[in-house]
Amino acid sequence: MGENKSEMGLLAYIIPFLAVVPALYVMGWESYEASILIVAVPFMTFPVILIVGQIYNGTEYWKDRLKEGGILALGALGVSLSASLWLVYDYVDALPNFDDQQSITQWLEWVSFDLLQSDYTLTSGSKVLGMGVWVDSITLMILFVATFLCFLICWFSLGYMNTDPINENRNHRFYGEFVLFALGMFGMVLADNFLWLFIFWEVMGLCSYLLIGFYYWKDSAAYASKKAFLTTRVGDVFLMIGLFILYDIYGSLEFSVIFHDPSLGGMVDSNKLFWALLMMFIGAVGKSAQFPLHVWLPDAMEGPTPVSALIHAATMVNAGLYLVARMVPFVDVGHHGVPGLEDLGLIVAYVGGITAFMAAAIAFVQNDIKKVLAYSTMSQLAYIFTGLGSALWFYNNDEHHAAVVVFGASMFHLFNHAMAKGMLFMASGSVIHEMHHAHDHLHQGGHDHDFDPQDMRNMGGLASKMPVTATAMMFGSMSIIGIPLIGGFWSKEGIIAETWLAALEHEPLMFGPAILVLLTAGMTGFYMSRMWFMTFAGEPKSEVVNHVHEETPWIKQPLLILTIVTAFGGFGFALLGATGYLSSAYDYSGHLELHESTLLSSIIAELEHAFLPEKMNLRVVGWITIFLSFIVGPIVAARIHGGNLAEGESSTPFVSWLVSLSSKFGKQDVSDLSQSELSVALQNRLYFDDLYEGILAKTVVPFSEFAAWFDKNVIDGIIKQIESKSVLGSVQVRSITTGSARDYILMATIGMLSIIALIWGINS
Amino acid sequence: MTSVGNLQLSSDMASSLLPEMIMLLGLIAIVVIPNLGDAKFRIPLTSVRVPVLLGGSRFDLTNDPRMPNRISNITFAIAFISSLMLISEPSKELGGVLMADGFSRLFSTMFLGALLLVSIATTHRLPAKVNARIPEESDSEAVFDRKISVLINNRRQVDFYILLIMVGLGMSMMAMATNLFMLIVCIELASLSTYVLVAFHKEASSGGEAGAKYFIVGSVASAIGIYGMSLLYLWAGSLDLDILREKWQLMDGVDPFAAFGIGMMLVAFGFKVSAAPFHLAAPDAYSGAASQVSGLLATASKAMGFLALFRVLVMITVPDGSEALWMVTLGIFAILTMTWGNLAALTSENPKRMLAYSSVAHAGYMLAGIAVVGSGITGTNESSIILTAVTFHLVVLVLFKLGAFLVLTLLETEGSGHKMEHLHGLGRRDPLIAGSMFLFVLSLAGVPPLSGFLSKLLMINGIVSSSAGTGISSSEDILSWAESVDPMFWLAGAIVLNSALSLFYYLRVGLVMFFEEPVVDRPLKTAPSLRMAIFVCAILTVLCGIGPVSEWILDLVNGAIDSLMYE
Repeated sequence: MGENKSEMGLLAYIIPFLAVVPALYVMGWESYEASILIVAVPFMTFPVILIVGQIYNGTEYWKDRLKEGGILALGALGVSLSASLWLVYDYVDALPNFDDQQSITQWLEWVSFDLLQSDYTLTSGSKVLGMGVWVDSITLMILFVATFLCFLICWFSLGYMNTDPINENRNHRFYGEFVLFALGMFGMVLADNFLWLFIFWEVMGLCSYLLIGFYYWKDSAAYASKKAFLTTRVGDVFLMIGLFILYDIYGSLEFSVIFHDPSLGGMVDSNKLFWALLMMFIGAVGKSAQFPLHVWLPDAMEGPTPVSALIHAATMVNAGLYLVARMVPFVDVGHHGVPGLEDLGLIVAYVGGITAFMAAAIAFVQNDIKKVLAYSTMSQLAYIFTGLGSALWFYNNDEHHAAVVVFGASMFHLFNHAMAKGMLFMASGSVIHEMHHAHDHLHQGGHDHDFDPQDMRNMGGLASKMPVTATAMMFGSMSIIGIPLIGGFWSKEGIIAETWLAALEHEPLMFGPAILVLLTAGMTGFYMSRMWFMTFAGEPKSEVVNHVHEETPWIKQPLLILTIVTAFGGFGFALLGATGYLSSAYDYSGHLELHESTLLSSIIAELEHAFLPEKMNLRVVGWITIFLSFIVGPIVAARIHGGNLAEGESSTPFVSWLVSLSSKFGKQDVSDLSQSELSVALQNRLYFDDLYEGILAKTVVPFSEFAAWFDKNVIDGIIKQIESKSVLGSVQVRSITTGSARDYILMATIGMLSIIALIWGINS
Repeated sequence: MTSVGNLQLSSDMASSLLPEMIMLLGLIAIVVIPNLGDAKFRIPLTSVRVPVLLGGSRFDLTNDPRMPNRISNITFAIAFISSLMLISEPSKELGGVLMADGFSRLFSTMFLGALLLVSIATTHRLPAKVNARIPEESDSEAVFDRKISVLINNRRQVDFYILLIMVGLGMSMMAMATNLFMLIVCIELASLSTYVLVAFHKEASSGGEAGAKYFIVGSVASAIGIYGMSLLYLWAGSLDLDILREKWQLMDGVDPFAAFGIGMMLVAFGFKVSAAPFHLAAPDAYSGAASQVSGLLATASKAMGFLALFRVLVMITVPDGSEALWMVTLGIFAILTMTWGNLAALTSENPKRMLAYSSVAHAGYMLAGIAVVGSGITGTNESSIILTAVTFHLVVLVLFKLGAFLVLTLLETEGSGHKMEHLHGLGRRDPLIAGSMFLFVLSLAGVPPLSGFLSKLLMINGIVSSSAGTGISSSEDILSWAESVDPMFWLAGAIVLNSALSLFYYLRVGLVMFFEEPVVDRPLKTAPSLRMAIFVCAILTVLCGIGPVSEWILDLVNGAIDSLMYE
């Protein structure tokens, strides 16, 4: 405990960082001026961590006091967090009207001559590459989520990364890349044009690649990082093409220019715009790991767990959602949108529905705790895509009310999911870390390489050993499942209901995604419960479990904070009207406030709205959802994997009720089911990886070989020819420079005569 | 010619000539101050002795051998600042032969900036030692020689800086000249001083030889130019630029006197800008001179030539909207110059010669720009852009061309710098200097976002935008378009191809600096002020390529060009 105290004493180092923003406030800065710090401070910190880490690697002060750069990273992210909280505080109620919304501040102007335009003026006002800050409710929400989670996960890493001997003397690389990633995310959210959005998007892609490959000496990690990079690259190419088309249409990539009137007074070719948006959507599909570009995300779990928590669950994968959310002005026919883009909404919803269902199915059979969470992430992101797809469809059909509700619900689900999933990954990290630790403790000297600390088949009964982690994971799972009143319930309900509304009342094609997401709700209930029961309930399935202690510093605090946010945040924000507020980015000035006069009446109104909506069909859908996710899924999971703890073990009252409840439903053996063809297919991820590899081996690889041959022989050959000919010419030319002044004067005279001859000859 | 006699000094004029006045004062100071002493003058027929302060035994303070360098630095610094402040003053005609306007002030500011850098760099290239010892019989031969060379260096401090200030005076006055006679006199004032500067290190055989060759070829070129000028005078009866311009506009057909006069003046200015085939003495001169002097030749001296070309070609002889008679000639010589320069630079094993040839190539690019302005296909805006590009290039050349020569100066202080292998491993010996050098060559090659890129981009853009549209826009295939497009378009093509060729030798500098083993593995001399000059050049090379500073300078240059074109 004393050691823990001195560890916490290190926080004194970050006090100066945290004092920066208050100091600026006292000095009379405005929050929008300070907003540059959100990106600039991490930008200045990451090279410092990398360079200083390289130089002072292994020294005591760097390792023990600065935590190999972790403290610096935490300080920098603290500045970002405080600056973004200030921005949120200032702008949360002061949303400008959409019609004349401008970037709130400009950070940078590129050389502002537009020679490439047609009017040849040297310094006209239009800027090609301006960089500014765009603020609306979506920006604020994602900015808060990103800065908050970056800070907490960096905190968590101080415990997780620095106590693992395998990371020793490498952590500066981790923290440097972590901070670089963070600035990419912050910059992407704040950017006021698509170009900078894309640039920061790529920064994140790079960091994702670097961090997945953190353990680069492991073949699987190196392979996974390459796979993630290349797969998202496919999407990025499409995104670039989309942006080219967009620039071709509007002559600008600035939000303020484009969103002012995306229809250009009705002159826009909706077909062309459709292709631009579709290309951009493919980019989003790659980034957010949706079908068919989903294959990289499960492998990305090769990275350290904090990376999985931050990049591959809570922030970067949301970039695709953010991009799709930015497409709303194009389709919002109520506000200068372009009609005739319903198909886009359908495509988005179908991609979402298929991914949600498929990922949930694959999650059924995963035994690696992080892989379950990875598929769950895919599935939940797919929910949001489905919701956004319905929203795009509704906006484009001028069903304004429904569009606003489902758009807000999707964005709200993004918030709930990011918080819950960030926490779940950290909790899983805690489990893995302690299992690993206990295993090393148990097998001192002789190393048992077959043991996998991430395999849930080695766990069971951890509820008594890790009460904090078990509680956190319980609330996180509940939020993801959508247990009534907790976290994700408030947002998932809206997505499913409105998708069904679209199907039932407007567009029969919407039945596809609607049915898929409804089924997925039940499946989510199963696989999340399964994960929790396998890990925490029942009797220990390996000896290692008995030696687990929850004692690593820096790990519990973020879990506790996020448990509270997950457990009460959903309901709290729902009471404050988060759904309406989040859709206000494209709509009206919504405020975060109670909608009824008293707290109690607000609660009652909200509950009534959630459980007894006015429309009968929505009510039925809602209750089916609750039934599937709350009753069917968890009970089936409990029958297979539930069970009481071993004799004499007990846990905190927060989770012990659930453990004992799980043993009440009897026991079912499913070992022969797991041999079935479907189960094997699911374990092999439905053979997508094999399919892609087969296609690549037949198409890209031969082409690459041809390109390599062409490059080596034809292009290099030409260049070598040019080089040798030039050198020959050079020697000849230089032989004219004899070094004798007489020759020079002779040449000058020849030159003079030829000038006179030329001038005279041409002009007479 | 009569106008020269009207020159009257008034306080108003003096303020417009402030930088020149300061240099005159500096010239006097550099002669007087080291000679201050305790000499007394006895008033005749009395025994009263009045101190006259000149002569006698010199004061320690003023007799310091470092004094001339300081005076020269201060003179150029003040002159530079005052010239910079005069840029935005309204234009003023002085005595009918000089014109102080934004354009001329921009050039004199640039000249003075270059001279300031050269003067600062010379501190270490021509070092003055305070306590020099007289050699003694007992000294070994090496020590004896070293002591002698210290004494010689101390003695010739004054000479070097007097010449430098003379160069400054000549260039700065030349920038304002609106009379051809004045122009030539000022150019000669500056040139004659540079000939001596090239040969200044006469103990090194290459220096003396280079200076002599440079002087001989230069004087032949000048003679041809002055002969051409006299032909012009025969034709027009005046050498005033405005009168020449009016005569030119009224000229019916082509007068042989005028055409030959202009052609012969091209020879003189072609030598100054080192255009092929008049450049042949330049590589010898550059490699024989001390590096900072070579840098001066490659930047300020070259800019002087281009300024003269602007005055003579653009101001006098560009008719409105039709071809100038020198257009094709200049275009051919531009392509010849850039190709010759780049090809010759390719295999140069002496970095100074390499930079000299690269300087020839750059002259070719700029001549191409002027040729397009003379082609009559450019609108006012495009002409303005191209001339802005050329002038901007001349301004930023001071940063990276001179900067590269300053790095070689630093190498010369340890006796190397004239072979490519002296650059080997510089990245390991001194990363900052090597990094700056790499920045300079990248900027010379025109790599974004450095300033060398910006000027090239502006120039090529100006040429392409004025000429590409002249092709048949509806033509389906590229061949028929290529046949129909104005030949000026291919000048841009030549620039692009030559830039690609030049990358070979520019990048080679980076290659040997960072990937070769150093021949001698000891750190470079500290030489603080020279280092500072190099870093200032390096930082400005970046700043002038991107961001607010570059915009400010572009605005300045653009305003200056407008004042030239619409005066």
